[in-house]
Amino acid sequence: MTHLRNLFPPAFLLLFVLSLLCCTNAVFGQSRLITGKVVANENDSTLPGTTVSVKGKKINTVSGRDGAFSLSVPPNSVLVFSSIGYVSQEIPVNNNSTFSVRLVSNQLGLQQVVVIGYGTTKRKDLTGAVSSVSADQIEKFPVTTLEQAMQGRAAGVQVTQNDASPGGNINVLIRGTGSLANNGNVPLYVIDGYPLETGGINNINPNDIATLDILKDASATAIYGIRAANGVVIITTKKGRKGGVQVTLDGYDAFQSRPKEYKILNAFQFGTLANQVAAASNGNFQSFSAWANPSALHNVDWQNGLYRPGLSQNYNMAIRGGSDKVQEATSIGYYNQKGIVQGAYFKRLTFSTNLDYQPAKWLRSSTSLKYSRQDQNVPFGSNGSNNLLALSELPPTMDSGNAATTQIYDGHGNYGFFNPIYTYVAKYSNPLFSINTNRYQNLNNFFLLSSSLEVTLYDGLRIKTNAGITYSGYNGYYFSPEDDRLVNQYGAAAGATQNASYSQSINSNFDWLWENTLSYDHTFGKHTINFVAGVTAQKNQYNSMAGSGIPPNNTIMDLAQSTAVVFTTGQNGQTISSLASEFGRLNYNYDERYFITGTLRRDGSSKFDEGHQYGVFPSGAVKWHAKNESFLKNVYWLDDLSFRGSYGLVGNSQTIAPFQYLALYAAGTGPNVAPSYGYTFGEPKTFAPGIYSTQPANPDLKWETDYQTDIGMDAAFLQGTLRLTGDWFNRRSKDFLLTIPASPQTGYSFLTENVGSMVNKGVELAIAYNHTVSSGFTWGANFTLTTVYNRLLSITSGTTQLPNFGNPLTTIPGDGWNPFSITKPGQPVGEFYGYKSLGIFQSQSQIDALNATAVAKGFAAYQKTITQPGDRYFADVNGDGTVNATDEIALGSPLPKFFTGLNLDATYGAWDFNAYFYGSYGNKIFNFAESSLESFQNRNFVGVENISVNYLNNAWTPENHSNTFARVTSNDDAIGSNVASSAYVEDGSYLKLKNLTVGYTFPGRLADRASLARLRIYVSTQNLFTITKYKGLDPEIGYQGGNATQNGVDNGTYPSSRFYTVGLNVAFK
Amino acid sequence: MKRYIKIIGILLFVAALSAPFACKKSFLQQTDTFAATEAATFTKPQQVVALVNAIYNTYQSSDLMKKSIWYYANFLTHDWYNNGNDIVWNYYGIGADFYALPVFWDNAYIGIARANAALEVIAQTRANGILPDALANRLEGEAYFLRGMTYYYLAGTWGGVPLELKAETNGLTPRSTQDSVFMQVVADMHLAEQLLLSKTQLAATDIGRATTGAAYGFEGAAQMWLGKYDSALIAFNNPELTTNYHLLPNFVDVGEYADQNSDESLFEVQFNVYGSQSWDGGWNDGGEEAWIDDFGWPQEISGFGYDYGNPGLWYSYQGGDLRRACTIGGPGDTLTSPGIIAQWGGIKGYAVVQANYQTTPNTYSDGHGNPINSIGTATYPWYGLDGTPRSGYYDTKKWRDPTLTGANGTSAIFGGQNQILLRYAEILLDKAECEVRTGDVTGAMADLATVRNRAWGGTAPAVMQDSLTWNGQPTQPITDPLQMVLSEYRHELTAEYSLMYDLRRAGPGVASTFIQGEYGTTSSTNQIVYPYGPTADGKTHGVWMTTLPLNKDILPIPVSAIALNPNLIQNPSY
Repeated sequence: MTHLRNLFPPAFLLLFVLSLLCCTNAVFGQSRLITGKVVANENDSTLPGTTVSVKGKKINTVSGRDGAFSLSVPPNSVLVFSSIGYVSQEIPVNNNSTFSVRLVSNQLGLQQVVVIGYGTTKRKDLTGAVSSVSADQIEKFPVTTLEQAMQGRAAGVQVTQNDASPGGNINVLIRGTGSLANNGNVPLYVIDGYPLETGGINNINPNDIATLDILKDASATAIYGIRAANGVVIITTKKGRKGGVQVTLDGYDAFQSRPKEYKILNAFQFGTLANQVAAASNGNFQSFSAWANPSALHNVDWQNGLYRPGLSQNYNMAIRGGSDKVQEATSIGYYNQKGIVQGAYFKRLTFSTNLDYQPAKWLRSSTSLKYSRQDQNVPFGSNGSNNLLALSELPPTMDSGNAATTQIYDGHGNYGFFNPIYTYVAKYSNPLFSINTNRYQNLNNFFLLSSSLEVTLYDGLRIKTNAGITYSGYNGYYFSPEDDRLVNQYGAAAGATQNASYSQSINSNFDWLWENTLSYDHTFGKHTINFVAGVTAQKNQYNSMAGSGIPPNNTIMDLAQSTAVVFTTGQNGQTISSLASEFGRLNYNYDERYFITGTLRRDGSSKFDEGHQYGVFPSGAVKWHAKNESFLKNVYWLDDLSFRGSYGLVGNSQTIAPFQYLALYAAGTGPNVAPSYGYTFGEPKTFAPGIYSTQPANPDLKWETDYQTDIGMDAAFLQGTLRLTGDWFNRRSKDFLLTIPASPQTGYSFLTENVGSMVNKGVELAIAYNHTVSSGFTWGANFTLTTVYNRLLSITSGTTQLPNFGNPLTTIPGDGWNPFSITKPGQPVGEFYGYKSLGIFQSQSQIDALNATAVAKGFAAYQKTITQPGDRYFADVNGDGTVNATDEIALGSPLPKFFTGLNLDATYGAWDFNAYFYGSYGNKIFNFAESSLESFQNRNFVGVENISVNYLNNAWTPENHSNTFARVTSNDDAIGSNVASSAYVEDGSYLKLKNLTVGYTFPGRLADRASLARLRIYVSTQNLFTITKYKGLDPEIGYQGGNATQNGVDNGTYPSSRFYTVGLNVAFK
Repeated sequence: MKRYIKIIGILLFVAALSAPFACKKSFLQQTDTFAATEAATFTKPQQVVALVNAIYNTYQSSDLMKKSIWYYANFLTHDWYNNGNDIVWNYYGIGADFYALPVFWDNAYIGIARANAALEVIAQTRANGILPDALANRLEGEAYFLRGMTYYYLAGTWGGVPLELKAETNGLTPRSTQDSVFMQVVADMHLAEQLLLSKTQLAATDIGRATTGAAYGFEGAAQMWLGKYDSALIAFNNPELTTNYHLLPNFVDVGEYADQNSDESLFEVQFNVYGSQSWDGGWNDGGEEAWIDDFGWPQEISGFGYDYGNPGLWYSYQGGDLRRACTIGGPGDTLTSPGIIAQWGGIKGYAVVQANYQTTPNTYSDGHGNPINSIGTATYPWYGLDGTPRSGYYDTKKWRDPTLTGANGTSAIFGGQNQILLRYAEILLDKAECEVRTGDVTGAMADLATVRNRAWGGTAPAVMQDSLTWNGQPTQPITDPLQMVLSEYRHELTAEYSLMYDLRRAGPGVASTFIQGEYGTTSSTNQIVYPYGPTADGKTHGVWMTTLPLNKDILPIPVSAIALNPNLIQNPSY
């Protein structure tokens, strides 16, 4: 308990330590006894059995159970610390007498324990393709989600941040895209043995993670059967250590810079342009009278007004320890991010406890408890489909709007608004007004509890039962007060008073799991077998309720003034799904040279009709550990060499909701509640209810099946300091499940079907190098590179191609921009689609010549009858004489040719250094943001909007014959220059320095004085620079809405910016 | 002790191991709590009735009615123009990716799919004894009628379309020819004629349902598309039509709010108001329970003004034709709608006029300090308030719902007025065309006279002649019988749901020639400076005079439909 008084807030602690550092001026003697302690860097657990030797001398000792050691050393000695599974470290003694040594795990070390489904194995015995990320790597720099921890560290795993909103969505793809469904490519996450069916993994605090093991090939994943097609990420959280207690405190504050801004017109430029466009519009557009004198306009800088510096704070405290029989680890974490957009924030409180109890050698129990509470608000939306771009497009003046102010906010309660009479700006609103006056709540609670009991019946023979629950619940509301400002100032001509409105929704997801396993491990002679088999049942229940309406007194301005909201619409629902399975896996090796693994899982899922509920997923793998052959054992330069091969089937059924196989009908709602489906008959008119078919039957619906082949090799050189892992994979996904836009002739908008097949194949390469240089200097590099070749092989539903599904990109108008991607056989998924731009029409004669040909072939015009010089010139690809939808072509793929990560680590004495690069090459980006900033019209609506300065300066005019930028008009919808075309497709390759960290660990003697086992401070920066040709703000763009057909479209999403972080890691003795 | 615990552990494990197996079968049987299966749903007659009601429901869509059928029927004729996002109609610039096309196409096939599903359910429930024969017949008749009517509008708009006649379809059926589709319309209407009730037999609570008369009306129209004018005349001359339907005595009552489901109406889509008429009402809940006539009123009154008229239509009405004032109003014209006058006293009664006639006299006063009671004035026509071009002429045929105020006053924007798709005056004009086609000019003139006499409130002039050309020039009498019929289609039916369909039905090129004759259209795709009348001020006011190009009298198949059914072949010139 005495140590707890040292739990100062980080800043005080830091000052305290720094003061110790400043006043220390020790004098040291010549020859003496040194003492110290060795711990594992990733989790501070003690490392008994570590050999401590004096370099060049036959003086050594071994650390005890608590990791402690003592040794008498001669002057000027260099200590060498070595332990199996860890990188050896040399430390000069100098004048030190106590040492606190942290050994870094050898990530790819042969002895490393790898967690696989329903068991563990050592990497040397592994037959499947598994990447691992250790806590030590995760702690290199501050991350808030474990997806970030995986990025670039595991070959074959593509991690893309869809946007930078607080708590925003991150896209994880393991070995490519195997499904077209929304969120159909999400890996299965298993937390401390619990396959997660509910709640996102951002509920898990990265500081609690001990290891991430990413199972990639079918041999590794087949044990999870119908949920394994997208790979499995096994998360093991930190446990208590035997022999003592350790308290750690980690925290950082990160300052986030304001984001890059689009360079757009100011009020003067905008007003001038509006007047010019009106003069040239032949009366089609009339500028606003208030803009007649542009130089008198008051400028409004929307980006400046809505962006702000961000601040993130992250604090974690943990107590981990135990005795021989009981080990316990408890941690609490708090993360608070104030986003770089007004009103945006993300707060997360996490609590974790792991309890392991072994009352007897043959009996052991483990319990894991996780709790998370999240509070999030992103006013402009998240998940890659927000409309922050619209901020830049707002007209940069609100003159002749609110009489009280022309600015966003005057500091006295007045918010500017646009003139409600002039149609071309009337639809716009001041977003800060909404952010500051609306009330909202988005709360998530997540709870996981699992507990297992394991009995060792006989040496190597164990039975285990494991049960648990997860719960995730959401509770949110949104209240918009009455807004009568426009009507008060402009009267009825401004329209009606905006009523107050209120909506509330709650949902909960409860999941339980019960599984029982029998396992047996035995070695007899040169034969080793490992067997596990079991049964499991899991059931998930989702409930939701939502309502919306208006307060009875429409004059209220705040929710607190009304206790009786009248709900005019509401909805609720419940879905239950269940999974019952049996599984088994047998590993056998002969003489640690020849390995074989067979895995079988039989899954039964309630999502399918009888006769289609059960699926069997087998896999097999072989491995030849060539290094153990006699002819290689003495090859000194080769420390390890093995070859692997596997093949298997795994499934995917996560993409569909239950009951998609049934023909279902539903009664419509009442006459004034959508959807009614009823009709009005009679005199007097009376509502008659309706019944409608919600979906036709599809009894043959079944899970997606992945056929995966993997061939891999592992090698090590230079005494194990250089390790190389390479894999070639071929993943064929068949019958992928899709709720697909149906031919309208069916009468349904969407139908759920098994629709086709797809292939992903590629090469993964991971190279790790760790080198200990003398004088306490170590450095290492970890490099990953992945290529994925993706092609759709077939569509079996009868159609020949699939457009992007839906259009959740809220600012992308339907007219001319939908579809913007097409997926068809022989092409990659989500390939961009549109017209081929040939530049800009330069003269009327050029247009007339093309029109003459078009008319001769029966068309009205080559493009449009209203096409003029300055409009974009598209290719007549099929040569029929006119440009229409049949001339749209593939414009490039959002999928990279390869993606890569490079981690550089170094320690020099007390200093540590990390630089982490992530890159993507060969992917295209559809720059919709650029397209929007090249449109003076608010497309798909009546209105004008702001454009970029670059466009204004370079747009085609009779004097400036640009062949890149079309003329500025007020009616892009009709003219059609600004549609999905090659003009907006850009090279999206990039290399980003994601992180740069420098840390300093105070020497043991100083830590001792503060009763600390470890004290490290660090400074870090994220997103310091990006090397790219892409002209948009940030080339790191992933899926929108979790949809593979809407990938790589720059919708001007929540921008990323640089973080500057100061952090502290403290471990108390 | 250890051994004892061990044994207990083993027993517990075995029990645990067996439990998941024991409950496995039922464990995978979950019940859907959202929707019901067919067997569970249709156990009573009213549930099958509700299934048929949902077919009608597809027409309670303002996007289908207004942005699809009404726009096609009127914008292509140049009598009316769009203001807003859809101005591509004004110069025939609709492309295959135009967003409103799939609204029409998809809604139509939803209705057809519901009809096909209903026919199967009706047969099943009839066989099961759930549905009595009489009710089953009526419901079947309604399903055939609604399917046939929907194919009528599909083929009228696009030419040949895919024929989906079964509930189970993969949606990949290719297009049939236009004739095949109209033959299917005839077939469906034939069945409907045998199964439906006469309007005289319809219970008061069922008014609005399809009737035998409506089926004959659409059958006749479909026969005309097929060029079978004799067969069409047989349908039009059926006593069900000639006995049970009549012209209303006064044309002004056609389309009046108080005259919904009148004796002249064969079929009208029913609407009603449930709850608020403002943005938070029926519109908010899917737009299915309210109509949007005031979107076409002048922006000065409604705040909208999304469509407006061609001054040339106003000039074309022959002197004394009472239909003009009830169809199109321009600067200085007052409203003649009895319902509006009764409720508001005319335009002067609207709140926006009362509130602003003193502060904004140019717009809202009559020039003498009084609230304006006309559609603008000759000095200050109502071009709209937002600077976007409008002609100053508006649709008074759709300015009838006295419960509406537009986005002013009480913000009653959405009303409950029915929309008439087919009325007896059109049957008479159709008959006249058939008679012309079959050589019975005398009969044709008699039917024309019936319609025209009503338009003049008694006896129409013997000579048919427009007052002025679109640009204010003198006109010549119309003497060609077919041209007489086309002119009457225009003056009787414009701003309703049939004019362009009737013009295109008359034959290839007829519509384009007719429109060119009325408006002197050219190849220009720009709006013109109007040369005549109170709005001829040297400025443009939203009037285009673009010739209807070859093949543009039908719309392009939506790209979204082709993308999901590659067997669809696009119309030429798109």
